[in-house]
Amino acid sequence: MDAFAVNATAEADNTATRGLRVLVIDDDESVGAAIRSILGRRGSETELASRACVGIQALGSSRFDVVLIDVFMPGMSGLDAIAHIRQLRLPTPIIAMSGFRLGSSQIDYVGMAMQRGASGYLGKPFVPQQLVEVIHRSLSSATPAKDSIR
Amino acid sequence: MTQSNAPLVEEFQIGHPSLEWARAASEVGAAIVHQLNEPLTALLLYVGDLRENSARFPADDCAGQSLRQVAENAYREAERLCLLLEKIGEFSNVPLPKESAIRRGRDVIRWWSQSSCGNAGDAPAVSGARERLTARENEVLHLVVEGCSNKEGGVRMRISYRTFESHRAEVMRKFRAKNAADLIRLSQQAPEQPRGGQIGSVIRV
Repeated sequence: MDAFAVNATAEADNTATRGLRVLVIDDDESVGAAIRSILGRRGSETELASRACVGIQALGSSRFDVVLIDVFMPGMSGLDAIAHIRQLRLPTPIIAMSGFRLGSSQIDYVGMAMQRGASGYLGKPFVPQQLVEVIHRSLSSATPAKDSIR
Repeated sequence: MTQSNAPLVEEFQIGHPSLEWARAASEVGAAIVHQLNEPLTALLLYVGDLRENSARFPADDCAGQSLRQVAENAYREAERLCLLLEKIGEFSNVPLPKESAIRRGRDVIRWWSQSSCGNAGDAPAVSGARERLTARENEVLHLVVEGCSNKEGGVRMRISYRTFESHRAEVMRKFRAKNAADLIRLSQQAPEQPRGGQIGSVIRV
């Protein structure tokens, strides 16, 4: 990719994320800090919550445009938190994140997160482009996915 | 590093093919994956950001090495670390029967010794990508190969197009595919294997 194309892509990214308020719920601060750095340079404001219950409280008291939440956390899991947020009828798009899987993982975390009301999914590790794209996709249609549980 | 590793690989293959060793290695592998998962994600984000913005660096600096190339190299090494960790995760914490555990351990070490020569390339990621797909992701891959759009795929699987899209993004990530055409090409290089014989539960990472 040449310099012009890189700059054009970066500009398109910035347009998609400029002015957004993002809430990251992740028990590991390093991931939250990296996401805040990436999105901050693209014009977004990011708040971090290290527990699901803290994140849910923040959602109740402030407006956020998008939520990124780790599926696996101590205490309330990310999957339970997504279901809880949807029960509260908060329409904010939620993007579920999960880490490396051990063994020949056949558990469908993507489907589980989407069934609970997530709008998108990010498998860790991911690169900035994937982060921006999934935020953009989640914001492009406001309502969460509604899948029938089979 | 490459030369000094060779005797260790040989020693493992001949000297420690016990079930206990395989189980211990699996436990250690699981612990490594668990501990490195988050910092490696953060590292890839930072280095990825540097690489995406490296066009702003001068094309050549006085030391003769372009900072763009440094960013590219750093990104490639971070990606390689992620690959290594994925590979370790694949054979970790899975209660396999003795023969499978030892075979899988040997496969990993063979791959490891190749990758330590700096020749990891795409092959290990692609060959392991099929195994890392869930049943649902396999369905999605079949439909993508058939040429289905997200909407068509969602209708065929009776899920929302957005869920289909998320599955598809995860499949592309596992294959390290840049686009749909790339995914189709890579999936044809790694034909589907029968799923029988895989035992074990998935443990939270």
